Amino acid sequence: MKKHSSNLASKSAALLLSMVVGLVAWAGSANPAQAADQVTLLETGSTLLYPLFNLWVPDYTRANPGVRITTQGTGSGTGIAQAVSGVAQIGASDAYMSDEQMKQNPDIMNIPLAISAQTINYNIPGLNRVHLRLNGPVLAGIYSGAIQYWDNAKIKALNEHLKLPHKKIIPVHRTDGSGDTFIFSQYLSFSTPSWNDSTGYGTTISWPAVQGGIGALGNPGMVQASQTNLYSIAYIGVSFHAQIESAGLGTAVLENRAGRFVLPTPRTVTAAAHELLSKTPTDERLSLIFAPGAESYPIINYEYAIVSKRQASPEVAAAMRKFMLWAIDLKGGNSAHYLNEVRFIPLPSSVSELSRKQIVQIQ
Amino acid sequence: MASLTSRALQRRVYSAVSWVLCTFAFALVAFPLFDILAIVFRRGASAISPGLFTQVTNGISGGLLNAIEGTLVLSGGSLLFAVPIGVIAGIYLSEYGHGMFGKVVRFLCDVLTGVPSIVLGYFAYVTMVVELGWQFSALAGAITLAIMIVPYIARFSELELSQIPYSLREAGYALGMKERTVIAHILFPIAWPGILTGILLALAISVGETAPLIYTAGWSNYMWNGHLTKEPIGYLTYVIWSFINQPFASAHALAFAAAFLVVFTVLLINVGARLLVKRRRYFE
Amino acid sequence: MRVRPIRIFVILVASLIPITLAAIFIFLTLYSWPAIQFNGVHFLFGRIWDLGNLYRNPVMVHGTSVPRGANYGILVFIVGTLATSFIALLLSLPISLLVAMFLAEGVPEQFRPALSLVVELLASVPSVVYGLWGYAVLIPFVANFLGPALASVAGFIPFFSGPVGSGYGLLTASLVLAIMTVPIITSTVYSGLIRVPREIKEATFALGATRFEVVRKVMLPSVRKNVIGAVILGLGRALGETMAVLMVSGGALNYLPGTIYSPITTMAAFIVSQLDSALQDPTGMAVHSLAEIALVLLMIAVLVNIVARALTGGQGHIAYG
Repeated sequence: MKKHSSNLASKSAALLLSMVVGLVAWAGSANPAQAADQVTLLETGSTLLYPLFNLWVPDYTRANPGVRITTQGTGSGTGIAQAVSGVAQIGASDAYMSDEQMKQNPDIMNIPLAISAQTINYNIPGLNRVHLRLNGPVLAGIYSGAIQYWDNAKIKALNEHLKLPHKKIIPVHRTDGSGDTFIFSQYLSFSTPSWNDSTGYGTTISWPAVQGGIGALGNPGMVQASQTNLYSIAYIGVSFHAQIESAGLGTAVLENRAGRFVLPTPRTVTAAAHELLSKTPTDERLSLIFAPGAESYPIINYEYAIVSKRQASPEVAAAMRKFMLWAIDLKGGNSAHYLNEVRFIPLPSSVSELSRKQIVQIQ
Repeated sequence: MASLTSRALQRRVYSAVSWVLCTFAFALVAFPLFDILAIVFRRGASAISPGLFTQVTNGISGGLLNAIEGTLVLSGGSLLFAVPIGVIAGIYLSEYGHGMFGKVVRFLCDVLTGVPSIVLGYFAYVTMVVELGWQFSALAGAITLAIMIVPYIARFSELELSQIPYSLREAGYALGMKERTVIAHILFPIAWPGILTGILLALAISVGETAPLIYTAGWSNYMWNGHLTKEPIGYLTYVIWSFINQPFASAHALAFAAAFLVVFTVLLINVGARLLVKRRRYFE
Repeated sequence: MRVRPIRIFVILVASLIPITLAAIFIFLTLYSWPAIQFNGVHFLFGRIWDLGNLYRNPVMVHGTSVPRGANYGILVFIVGTLATSFIALLLSLPISLLVAMFLAEGVPEQFRPALSLVVELLASVPSVVYGLWGYAVLIPFVANFLGPALASVAGFIPFFSGPVGSGYGLLTASLVLAIMTVPIITSTVYSGLIRVPREIKEATFALGATRFEVVRKVMLPSVRKNVIGAVILGLGRALGETMAVLMVSGGALNYLPGTIYSPITTMAAFIVSQLDSALQDPTGMAVHSLAEIALVLLMIAVLVNIVARALTGGQGHIAYG
């Protein structure tokens, strides 16, 4: 009995070991010839840009078999850090780098690839079909706990024709570091001085403690949390439009700098982008939040590729230039075919030109 | 007399109720397992197709071949490090580890199993990925997993070896055998099924790990090109963790397909490991 | 005594384990040293975790460059970690004891392997899958059924009173951790129970005890040490659990839980969820402070193991990860 079993054991052990060795050998010899003349690029970072890269890469690499591009959704901070350290070639970020970060890393460039937006969504039975009007100070009040009920006078003042319920508001925020938090808190900061003084903006902010407020993980967590919690409010990346629709959430109309209330549509997002065209500096580090102009939607942003001017080899640099030029091309990555899927807006031509000038500096 | 009978009755009722409670507790524990299996099976099996095993991940769709290969390479690679070190450490603990140093090693071994996996991942990221310049790589991922599972293999091996009666060792020495011969030809063949169980359980742990790999192995949409460093590699748990956060239904299908593959691989390994030592015991 | 090469070889290989652990400890200490100096004791007792304004130029505080307004206090995460683990063990201990007794004495011998396998497989489910399940099944269940039921039955106790909230929080995280610790405690206790000498059992039967009385009054007390060791092993598992907790805890920041339904954050989950934001701090203080959390977590894990060993008299147990 013992003998038999130990035989079985050694046999299975030998089998296991040979499987491991064989596998490693097989994987190692998979396609060395092909790998040798291929350039491998690693893209990592923003979870907002991740879906877009996942649409781009299969098509691009099919047309350009000499390059392999791996995509990762790790978060904007990771994208920046790993582009700086050289672990990744392309760091995707919803936020531009700070002055201090630029001072420390003069070789790093912030290159917009597309324009994204964010929607404010809520779940109030009976009111999800109409568009509730909200503005920065009211949202700041909700997220700081000063405004606790949906029938608060300040919300009523914006929505006089609606019958608002006397129910507690459940503000939902992201718990992970996120570009969505960055642009949402920037909207609150730019529109509401008291928020700017007390909390400010960032990818993770020190949220004021609001009784009943909840945190959620990632955009799917935000959608789910606001779907399951009646009378909640959340900020969600525009790529998740389809999920927001199927969850039956309401989308708020937001007050812009000009005092007009606008819905997030391609027209209002484009309008906001155009207002800030002339202000975009050559290094393209600019917030598009709370743009002037009557038609401008207030929460939009450039989606950045963070890349280093100095790459490991001329081949890598050439592959990056080619890919990124394709990405910002209206006939390539910036075509409606890709951007409509994630509801992004193409770069206006003057910004596209600035991006191009930066891209050609990659050596 | 009557009071005695009623007391006996009381005790019987108490016992019967308690057993019902025990059964209920068991059902309470069994339910999550079956519910997890049911959900993963229902949502995962429907996403299983031949393409899953023949294509690489292509953006948010395609197959999982690269992730399946990556999981095999990472877990297999971690065994290459962890099995020799773990088994030899187990031999040390069982055969020589009765002094102070042995106690320290045994204790630290247990401590190492208690180190949260995210702490290991953080450590590996800064040392191997950044400082040593390996970047995201199969080697960094495999070594991190190996650090996780070595203590399990060591303690399992020790347990198996220490259960062998001392008389067998004495018999060996009486025949003039050397220490290494006693270990290799007497102790090892007896303990091997148990040690293998430990190795298989460790393998199952490594297949299901996520946190320590995110910052060491990275992720790749492609088949591994055989480079040990500077080449990121995919794995199945990454797909579960990251694709469930995507706005596309095809990504969710891949996430559940990956969950299905991981859960059933892990369960299969566990059941297999138990069958191997079935005659001995069910728990350790 | 002659020094044998085989012994030296074996000792050298075995030394890799303490060396690795020492390397982890030393690395974490070195890496978090700037944060340890900057944060001081305030780190452990501060309630506010604020990365500061990462977009304005850093300021000098006590000779260290940090983001404006940076403040690193982890009391909320320590409390979250201890509270989830404590409640989880409070739930899983009685259930585990009942299940262990059930498996050891309550079922016919031929069913034991199959039934005990259920418990073992529960231990082998990867934590990211527990997270997925907690998120998909447990959260709606707690929000819609368990929470309201608990609030109406036990609502007179302040800690259990509503509002029940979203389902994300202390209760759900504790439930997931309870399920994850049940197999650890059950298997350790069970393996003790089945080793109780037959003679003792038979002697107790002979005195007229029922089967349950034998297992409850005689067998269970004799494995007291296993129980204590198992609970502490479960504690170790619960304290360090990352993925599953991250997905159901609600991620509270800057406030302590008021009720069992409050969102919370644990140290391990916080490291994962904040590493990305911390990497954006140009001064690096945020990343150093996260390393300090990892160091605190490591020291708690060591402490838990020391206590487990002291209480169980050096009897080692292997927990399934």
